[in-house]
Amino acid sequence: MKNQKLKKFFTLVLEPFAFGILALIFIIPTITVVNLEPITKVLKNLDVLGVSEQARVEINAIEGTHQIFGREKLLEDESGTFTYTTTLTRREADRYSKPILEIKNNRNIDVKLEIYGNTHLPTYSNISMIINDQSYKLQSPNGDVTTQNILLAPNQKYVVYLVVESFSNVQFNEDFELKIKEIE
Amino acid sequence: MSKLLKRALKNSLVPAILMIAGKALGIFIVSAKYGFPLEIGNDINGLFSTQIYFEDAQVTYFVNSVSDLIMLIVIAVPTIYQIIKTAIFQSTFSNPKTIVKIAKFNMIQWVTRDDTTFLKIFVWCAFLWLCTGLIVKNALEGDSFTWIAIVGCILSLLSGFGALKTFEIEVSRVYPDSKKYY
Repeated sequence: MKNQKLKKFFTLVLEPFAFGILALIFIIPTITVVNLEPITKVLKNLDVLGVSEQARVEINAIEGTHQIFGREKLLEDESGTFTYTTTLTRREADRYSKPILEIKNNRNIDVKLEIYGNTHLPTYSNISMIINDQSYKLQSPNGDVTTQNILLAPNQKYVVYLVVESFSNVQFNEDFELKIKEIE
Repeated sequence: MSKLLKRALKNSLVPAILMIAGKALGIFIVSAKYGFPLEIGNDINGLFSTQIYFEDAQVTYFVNSVSDLIMLIVIAVPTIYQIIKTAIFQSTFSNPKTIVKIAKFNMIQWVTRDDTTFLKIFVWCAFLWLCTGLIVKNALEGDSFTWIAIVGCILSLLSGFGALKTFEIEVSRVYPDSKKYY
């Protein structure tokens, strides 16, 4: 009798845990598969004498999740021009920013980069980037694009922040494209 | 603990493991076959903070797409197999032609082994829907081929329909249609 009561009690206690485990059996594979999705990144070149980096400007996407900046992509074409794309989702009038790229000058000399970016349609938003606490305008509210030349010191790492400032609510998504090219 | 819950737990372990294995093996097999260099990193970027890196965006796109396809096949094939098996098994009750055809192909032993239940089909179907959801998300984000997402959607819809039919059959076993008997 006592044994039966004890069994009933354990059944009652264990059941919610079993439901939790069942839910986890569905959740864990989903999260694992999302985490297993491969990412593009410049791989380190190893040689037999130790670690060596190629003497070039290295650009990596920082990625991560953000409410406004979605579907980030970074591609490099054969000529060495990097294209960063993102979708700016609909948003309320405000100022939004996100670290988007990490630029590393692996050379022992100064390198000059030409950077310009724009949305496909004028968005009535100010779009700029911030590097080392300095702001660089990319696109004005009427759609005018400004090309910026940035000088990178040798063996220095820079984080590029993308800033979008909207003065009125934006009700549609827009694709933004940023081109980065080495000029000197 | 209820029997249903115990069986649900038991039935969901295999598809869960296969889903992860399909994706992981897909990545490693494709990389090994085509000789793509890959790196496993530990940047804090996701819940598990372990990432698989490829050097080229096109390679990443290709590997992700193929591994998605392998994951889909690994889950979809057993699901469809179970649905077809149950459908044939149920058909033998009402249609003598099916029995004749099954006997002709020497498949009686395979079909009459009634180890496939609605719960099992439902669990596998749920995992197929999960896989399809992930593939559609990847396709929308431009990380996977669109046709894989379309194939996944078609397979999910078909298996969903199959699972629904199996449910109807199971229900009619418990509550038989009175017109059939009187």
